[in-house]
Formats: sequence, structure tokens, C-alpha cells
Amino acid sequence: MARSRPLYALAVLALVLAGCSAPGSDKKDSASDTGPIKIALVDAQSGQLSSLGAWELKGAKLAVTEWNAQGGINGRQIQLDVFDDQGDPTTGTNLARKIQSEGYLAMIGTAESAVTIAMAPTLKTAEIPNITSGQSPGLVAVGSEFLFLNGPTSTTYDETLAKYIVDQQGIKSIAMITNNGSYGKGEHDAFTKALAKRSVTPVADQVVTTDQKDFSAALTSIRQKNPKLIFLGAEEVESGLIVKQARDLGITAPFAGGAPQGTPVFLNTAGAKNVEGTIVSSPYLSNDISPASKKFADAYKAAYNEDAELHGAKAYDGTQIMLTALKTSNVATGKALADAIRATKYQGLLGGFAYDNTGVGIFATSIGKIENGKLVAATG
Amino acid sequence: MRYRIAALAVIAVAAWLLPYGLDSYAIHVVNIILIFSILAVGLGLCMGIGGQVNLAQVAFFGVGAYATAILTTKAGWGFWVSAVLAVAATVVMGLLVGTPALRVQSHYLGIVTLGLALAFTNWVTNAQIAGGAEGISAIPVPTIPGVDLSSEYLYYYLELIIFAVTLAFGLFIVRTALGRRMRAMRDDALAAGSLGAEVPVLRMTAFLLASIYGGIAGVLYAGLIRYVAPESFSIANMFLLLAMVIIGGRQSLVGCVAGAVVLYLVRELLVDYPTAAQIGYGSVVVLVVVFAPTGLAGLPPRIRQALRRRRGGAGEAARLGEFRPYEAVEAAAGDEPILVADAISMHFRGLKALDDVSLSVDPGEIRGIVGPNGSGKTTLFNVISGLYRPTRGRVRFRGRDATGLAPYRLARAGMSRTFQNLRLFGDLTVEENVLVALDRHATWQSWRYVGRPISVLRRDRDLHRRAGEVLDRYGLREFAALPPKSLPYGIQRRVEIARAMAAAPALLLLDEPAAGLNGEEVRQLSEIVRSIRDSGVTVIVIEHNMGLVMSLCERITVLASGKVIAEGLPAEVAQNPAVIEAYLGDSMSSDDLPTLPEVAR
Amino acid sequence: MQVFFQTIIGGVSLGAIYALVALGFSLVYRTMGLVNFAHGNVVTVGAYLASTFYLTAKLPFAVAMVVAIVVTAAIGLVIERVLRPLENRDFDLMLIGTIGFGIVLDALVIMIWGATGRAVPSPVQTAPLSLFGLRIRTYDLVVLAIAAVATVLLVLFLSRTKRGAAMQAVAMDHEAATAVGIHVGRSNAIAFMIGAGLAALAGGLVGPLLYVNPALGGTLGIKGFAAAILGGFGSIPGAIVGGLAIGILDSFTAGHFQGYSELVTFLVFTVIIMIRPTGVFGERTVNRA
Repeated sequence: MARSRPLYALAVLALVLAGCSAPGSDKKDSASDTGPIKIALVDAQSGQLSSLGAWELKGAKLAVTEWNAQGGINGRQIQLDVFDDQGDPTTGTNLARKIQSEGYLAMIGTAESAVTIAMAPTLKTAEIPNITSGQSPGLVAVGSEFLFLNGPTSTTYDETLAKYIVDQQGIKSIAMITNNGSYGKGEHDAFTKALAKRSVTPVADQVVTTDQKDFSAALTSIRQKNPKLIFLGAEEVESGLIVKQARDLGITAPFAGGAPQGTPVFLNTAGAKNVEGTIVSSPYLSNDISPASKKFADAYKAAYNEDAELHGAKAYDGTQIMLTALKTSNVATGKALADAIRATKYQGLLGGFAYDNTGVGIFATSIGKIENGKLVAATG
Repeated sequence: MRYRIAALAVIAVAAWLLPYGLDSYAIHVVNIILIFSILAVGLGLCMGIGGQVNLAQVAFFGVGAYATAILTTKAGWGFWVSAVLAVAATVVMGLLVGTPALRVQSHYLGIVTLGLALAFTNWVTNAQIAGGAEGISAIPVPTIPGVDLSSEYLYYYLELIIFAVTLAFGLFIVRTALGRRMRAMRDDALAAGSLGAEVPVLRMTAFLLASIYGGIAGVLYAGLIRYVAPESFSIANMFLLLAMVIIGGRQSLVGCVAGAVVLYLVRELLVDYPTAAQIGYGSVVVLVVVFAPTGLAGLPPRIRQALRRRRGGAGEAARLGEFRPYEAVEAAAGDEPILVADAISMHFRGLKALDDVSLSVDPGEIRGIVGPNGSGKTTLFNVISGLYRPTRGRVRFRGRDATGLAPYRLARAGMSRTFQNLRLFGDLTVEENVLVALDRHATWQSWRYVGRPISVLRRDRDLHRRAGEVLDRYGLREFAALPPKSLPYGIQRRVEIARAMAAAPALLLLDEPAAGLNGEEVRQLSEIVRSIRDSGVTVIVIEHNMGLVMSLCERITVLASGKVIAEGLPAEVAQNPAVIEAYLGDSMSSDDLPTLPEVAR
Repeated sequence: MQVFFQTIIGGVSLGAIYALVALGFSLVYRTMGLVNFAHGNVVTVGAYLASTFYLTAKLPFAVAMVVAIVVTAAIGLVIERVLRPLENRDFDLMLIGTIGFGIVLDALVIMIWGATGRAVPSPVQTAPLSLFGLRIRTYDLVVLAIAAVATVLLVLFLSRTKRGAAMQAVAMDHEAATAVGIHVGRSNAIAFMIGAGLAALAGGLVGPLLYVNPALGGTLGIKGFAAAILGGFGSIPGAIVGGLAIGILDSFTAGHFQGYSELVTFLVFTVIIMIRPTGVFGERTVNRA
């Protein structure tokens, strides 16, 4: 009979599991009119992508703190709870169910498009609006009316960039180096398309992996083509490494890319001297581009003792939009809240938001240039 | 037995009623736990039962899920057709990943399989057909007429049934011939091979099973989440899976399931406290590995043992019975030698362990091989039994060329051996040790597990009966259910001989069978060996106990420094000046000196 | 041709780091029979310590490195104490036990230094050397030189000092070493300390080349382990050759197969291991019958 003991244990466990949760415990308690308004922030807080998650959390928290300091919404405080998706889509689906069953009204995050896409069907069925920080075209392709982006898509970034580089500056000899992650892939496709529209073929098209550390082979091939400009599609750190190694290899052509190339992390990783002249297409060029951004940056610095950057600003904007919609809709939920978000016109750190049916709210970026170690708006 | 059926019934009812108590979040978590449980059972079969380090289980999972996704969304095929093809694709992947196991083991195999898992993630991240970094979404819901599987509650029942079937199948394997052979290989691949277990086939079987379970789990995942992305099959998830199996207890499939359930629940409970969760999860893993290496599954026996110790009085100790001699048969009148070693040389990096050794043994003979330490006796055995391929020379066994044949082939051709320092399967019982040797079926016939499970059970019952006979003959009946490590040395020696004889050999190689035995045990040994010979089996003995050799062997071959220096009747050999020189020239202890012939016979 | 040589140069520079990581793996394995999968995480700790002393405490780079090595080695002593029950255990247990410990280390790193990481400016500001159109970073030369010196010192220590000889003896035969009065525990502790020190050296040196964040050690750990296996696990020259080989292999596959480089790297690695299971300088003793 000895072998049956584990089975008994399992039986007991099953019974305990069955006993713990009351039947039909899908309670929508926060739909009631009292108590705090529950908003979930889902992001990687551990694992490879935890830095993105950390920035997002800081930005979103700042917005919530501001609102709570002013008395919340309709006299109710806002409660922002953090969930760690570990950058894992499966965990993401668990969390989608969890925030549904625990009665969260809305969700901020995630910064990883795969996790967001995995969660989208559940959130759609549960009618929980979600403002994500992703920018990949795949998010729009999901086609959920509950999914919103807190920034422009790659298409906007790269169309603006191509317009500046090709149309205004007349540069046609362009090399590309992008990574194969979802961000880099999106950039690669969007920029290639923008170039094709202008009948420009890149002189080199190098793809690297997200984990890669040594880029000599790719960069040396680019150097042999002697391009006038190199388009860069990779996250902050990898972009920084690529630029640093390119300069060490004697490549002098300037780099151009999306938002990551305007961030302090990129600048520090590559070294200020190396990034001089980098052209950046970003909705958030720097902390002192406008009075609003200055105020945000000061509050950020005061709260976390570090300089604000793009991801924090995006999450801050997204959270602001969410809270504004909650206020204007009188703490509506589900479809009404999604409609309220779509109806919200908001002037944020990144610019003017006005959502269309695809869930994208901002369609413009500005072109900046790194001069003297600072990102400034490009002239001409 | 009745208790067990009752317990199973309770579990079945509880599992059936479980969804009624769960909200949509909990049922989703339970669904994912079931998928991880299937994965863990597969990994348990491969690592715990087969002893093959497999860090690519998460890639098998991925192949199953991705193949389903690609076939349903890109090729537009039905879910179940795609599912079958997906499992087939996973099996192909499993066999590919398993191939290195034929050459390397342990940490080498670990890094190779890990590398291949990374290669898989890299491929799906790039490939257009796999949707790149963004993965594939909108996988269709599997259809069963009349059942809406888009409801996670109903999906639970689908998973539950598949899980129950796969777990039962896994347990069926573990407790019958195939699983026993795999466990034997895990404990000691060399000994298993020399008893006729086809080690390469078994290793591939381990990976085959792992991939089938991985593929099934992948299909279920695709049907449940309906979205696949490279991150779902990351190395972090592989380590989680590994932790489930180790914490649950590698050698017990039920333990693997318990590990999957417990670890996933813990992780889910701690999801709101990321950093603390990591520290907690990591520490639990370290603590379990250090303090409970057998995992959760090992706890009940340990507690029982501790209780018994506290109660004191370990009942009556098992006793060794009398050896019951074999029935003597007339030696088959064969004049051809059973074994011929022809000019064997064996070099290890310049060291000549064997130098031009020739040897011929007639059927029905008891041949002794003696020589000072390091003279190459065991090396000769290893060459004969196929562990080493000789640098030069040929071996002929029963009239056929057997040079460098794999040990299991030689074993199947009728050669059996024991080892100088005992190679019993430590985690198997004494009876199972014998059962492994008795089982002469080819591993490829394991398709019967699927096609004709009843015949497997019948055969297993037959094996148990014959094992009982062997144990009775060697007086080991009372030790049948004990692990060999717990037995006195002399009894372990006897178990090893019983095991070697259970393989029904024509030639038995005994490597120092008397080492560590007391006088009475040596007497019994010589009785056993004579009886073995009388039953028609040829015996070759390496031995240092000269009294035994002189009395037992008909002919003796003397090795020194890798060369044959004398061969003949015991009396002739003992007086050979070259032999005396070899022993005296070597600084040997006195009991290595050949005893004078008057002691003999 | 230029691409070819430049690719080799790039590969060698990271290869030297992989070699240092592999050296730590091999030294610990040969002495105490422990396959330490937390080694990569120790590299992360070393990198963070070095960058903290260099950037925050504003010590000169060399001094910061030395302090980081000493501190990490001291931490290594603590780690060795925790992992001691795992030594000479079967591989599965060591594997998951050390991985579990690595997860704890990672979480501690995030708790202390945060998740976002930091960039470390290069301590050598000289412009890269230019030779026949090839560019060689001066810092790479420094890394190579330090790696070479570290290897030579390690070999000298193992062969010329009493303590080192004792460690060699433990590596060869655990029980015989105990029998002749060598304190195996102390010998193991020293091996682990040196291993941790080497990890800190690798982490500190790689900081200015890459970006110091909690994920740093993971990749270096896997590549370093692969390097140790490729060279022959437990072999000192093997670790060096394996490290450089993995670095160069990586660079070439990146050049030729672009996004698919990782796939090709590990396939090639698998084929090599299958052809030569014991690596370039394989373990000599084959334990049989």
C-alpha cells in the first residue's frame, strides 16, 4: 500500500484547491462605487527585460501619485498594483485572468509585445482596456478595441525619419543594421518600406541577434560599402554597443534610428563622443523640450533620484490618459471606458494624443540630433 | 489494493468536480499546471528514469506548439490533423537532439541539449513561417462535436483525460520491462550493456518519450493559449521545468507531477512580489537539492523509515539461503573452442596494457587467469566483453568474429560477466537486478506498449516468476525487495553472480569473485562456480585467491606486464620459473604468491 | 579578406573574456568536481562590484579591478560554503542546485543595484590601432594581456607552489590526497575563491566592452561553459583554446548567418562535441569497469 500515499496527498490537495475558492468567485467588486480604483501594471520585473519594466513602473507610479495627491477620481483613490510577467507570454495569460478575476478596471503595460499579444484575447473578452508601451505593428494587427498604444508605431517613427533623411537631406546611400527581436524586426520592415516608397535601396542590410555582443563582421561589411548614413534598429544597450564598435572600426558615418537612440542609456553605452551627430526620430526628444517635460523630469528626479527617460515618459502619458478617461467617464468600466479612452484628447509629454480605431493615438515624431552630447531638435 | 482503487476513485471524482469550485483565473492556472505536469512527466522519464540529461524539453514543447500553430494557421489544416503531425515533428526533433547522447553524457550532454534548445528559439525568432519575434496568433480552437473547447472549463476535461492517460502510460513503462531496463542503464550503463540492454537504443528511447510528452504538451498549449511566441519556450522556463522535476523527485513520475503542481502554485502565489519570489524560489531549489535530494517523492519513505527507526526493532533480518545446484548436463561434444583471443594488443596513450595476448578456451572449461596487479587481466576481460576495442588482434566467440562488438551484442550472443568492484544497479531492488538480466527481448519491440499492452503485462508476470526461481536457487529470496547497497558485501557478490547467470550465458566471466569474501563464502563460491560449469556454462575467472584458483580451475593462464607468460594445468603453472619470477620480481604481498601444488585439490 | 581578419579580431576580443570565464568553470570542476552553473551570476556580481568601485568610489580602474577581485573572491568563500553539500554529487542535482543559487544571486543583484544597469566608460582612451586597414582596439590588447598574465600566474601557482600542488593532487585523486594529509576542504575553498576571482576579472574587464546589467552573466556563463567543454572540461589550456574558439566561431556565424547565427553556432558546437566528446584537451582518465 506504500505507493498509494502520494496519491492520497494529491487527492487532499485537489480537495483543498476545490475548497479554497468559493464557487463563481468572478467578483467585479471594484465595479462598485466605493473603495479604491484598481489599476494593474503588468511588466517584467525580473529576468532579461526587467529594466524596461522598472522604467515603466516609475513613470506610471508618478502619474498615479500625482492624481492621488489631488484627491483621486470622484473622491476615490487610485490603487496601482504591480504584476511581474517575467517576460513570459504564458505568465502573461495567467495575469490576464488574474486581473480579470480580481476586478481590475484597466491595465498599464506591458513593454514586451509578445506578452501583450498573448494577453490581448483574454483582456478583450473580459473588456479590460489596456494601454501598452509596445510599438510593433503586430499589436495593431491584433485588432482589439481594448488595446491602446502609448506612443507611435514603428511606421510613424521611420516614415518621419526617412522623410528627413532622404527628402530633406538628400542622403541616398544608407546602410541598415537591425536586430531580429520584435522591436528590431518592426523597425527593419517599417524603414525598408519607407525607403522603398522613395525608391531607395539600402547599400547593406545586416541583421544581428538580440543577444549578440560582437558586431565586427556586420560592421566591417558596412564599412566596405562606405554609406553616408547607417540606420540602426535595436534597443538602447545593443544600439550603444553597435555605435561604439563602429567608431572603433573607423566608421565615421552618422547613425539614425528611433526613440532608443535618443536615450541616456544609449548615449552612455556608446560614449558621448561616439554618438555625436546621431539622428533620432522620437516623440520625446529630451527632458527639457517643453515645460511639461521639465516638470515631469523634476518630479521623476525627486522621486527616484535618477534622470527621466523615454520609457518612463511613455508610461506616464499612458497612465495619464487612462486616468483622464476614467475621470471623464465617471469611472466607467469595460466598453464604456475603452470608448472614453478613444474620446480622450490629451496633450502629453510625447505630443497630442487622439486615438483612432486601431488603438494608436499619436502619429507624429520629431527629428532630433545629438549635438555636444545632448539631443536637440534638428534644424532644417 | 482495495485502498488504492478507492484512493484513485476519490482523486478521479475530485479532479472531475474541481472546476466547479474555481473561478476563471484559477481554472486557467490549473490548465497550465496540467500542461507543465505532462512536460514534467516527459522530462522525468528522460532524466529520472533514463538518466539522460535533457535541457531541450522546452524546445520539444515549442516544436509541438509551433507545428500546431503553423499547420493550422498557415496551411489551414484541422486542429487534430495538425496535432498528430505536430507530435510527429516533435519526435523527429527528439531523435535529432538525442543523437549526441550516443556519444556524450552528463554535463557534456547538458550543454549540447541546452545549445540545441537555444538554437530552436533562435530559429523561430527568425523564420518567417514561425511569425518571427512576434509569434503566431489566432490559432483556431480545437473542435470536438458538441463540446465548446473555447471554454477553459471544458478544455480542462480534455487536458485532464490526456494527462491521466499519459501519466498512466508513463507509470506503465516505469513499472515494466522497458522502464526497468532504462533505470538499469541510468544506474550503470556499462553493467546494463553487458547484460544485454541496448544502451544506444535505450538512450534514444528516453529522448523519444521525452519528445512525445513535449509534443503533446505543446499541442495542448497551442489549443489553450492560441498564441505562440519564442519567449514562451525560453531557457528560464526550461530551468523552471527542471526544478519541478528535481523538487518533485526525479525517479518518481508522481513526484514529477507533485513538483510541477507545487512549484507552479508557489510561483503563482508570489507573482505580486517579484524580487522576493526569485529569492524564495531559488532558495527552495537549493534547500531541496541539499536536504532532500530525492525530492518530494522521497519524503514519505524517509519519514516512514525515521518512524520505524524510532519504534526500534527492525523486525527479523533477512537471511541468506542455501545455494541449490543446477542440474548437471552432459557437456555438448564440441571440439571447437568457445572463445579465442588472437594476438590481442591494447594500448592506452603509449601504455601497453596488453601485448600480443592469445588465449583459447574450450567449452565446459573453468579457466583461471592470474597475474600480479596491473598485469592486464581486467583489461583482457574488457576487450573480450566488448568494453574496449583492441588496438590489434581479433576475438572469436562461439565461432564468430566478435572483435569490438558492442557489449550488449556479445551479451545477447551468450556472454555474461561480473565486475571487479561490483556493478549492481543501486536504485533497483535485488529482484529487479535479476529481472533486467532475465529480460532478453529487444528494446525495439517496445511498440507493444502501445499496440499490445496486455502482452507486455503477461510477459512481465512471466519474468517475475522466473526471477523468483533464480532468487530461490541462489538463496536470495528474502532479499528480493531490498536495494543491493544495503546488503553485506558477500551477499552482493552472490547477487551479481545470480544476475550474470540469469542472462543464461554460454560463457561466464568472473572478475575477482572472491575478493572480500570470508573463508566460508569462498567455499560456497567454489561450489556455485562448479555447479555453473556442470550446467554447461564455460567459466573464466580472474582471481588473486590462489587456493581457490588452484582448486577450481582446469587450466590457468598467467599474465605479467600485459603478456602471457605461462599457460597450463595448475600444477605446471605453479612450478614455472617465469611465473615465480614474475610474482617475486613484483613487490607483491605474500598472499599473491602462487600456493604450492600440494594444497590443491 | 578585410572582413575575415576583422571578424577574427572581434572574436578574439570577446573570446579572451569567454576564456577567463571558462577558466573559472574548469578550475572549480577539476578541483572539487562541481559544475557551477552559478558561475555566470558570479561574473555579474564581479562586474557590478568593479563598476561600483570604478564609477561610484572613483578609484582608478586597475585599483577598482583588484578590489573587486578580492571582494568577489571573499564572496566566493561564502558561496563555496553554501554549495559544499553539492560537491561531487550527481550532475542533475548540481545542475539545478547551482542554477537555483544563481537565481538567488541575480535577485540580490537587482535588489542592490537595480534592474536598469549602467554603462562603464573605457579606461583606455587611446584611439584604436590601424594596421593594413584593420582596426584593433587598445583596450582589447589590454584585455588579452591581462588574460594571458592571469593564465600564466594560475599555471605557475598550480605547478610551483605547495598550495597549488596540493590542489592538483586533490584534482587527481580526492581520497589519496586526503590520505597524504592534504586538507581537501581548504583546497576546495581556495579553488573556488580563485574561480570567483577569475569571474570578477572577466566581469570587470568586460564592463567597458559591454553594458553592466543583471543579464550580463547569463550569456557569458553559457558561452563560457560551452568554451570549457569545447576545450576539454577541467583543462586549463583547453579553457583558453575553447574560449577563443567560441569567440571566433560566434563572430563568423554572426557575419555569415546574420539573425540565424546562434542556431549555427550551437549546431557547429554540437557536431564538434560529437566528433570529439572529450574536447580538444580531453579528460585523460576514462573511468571504466
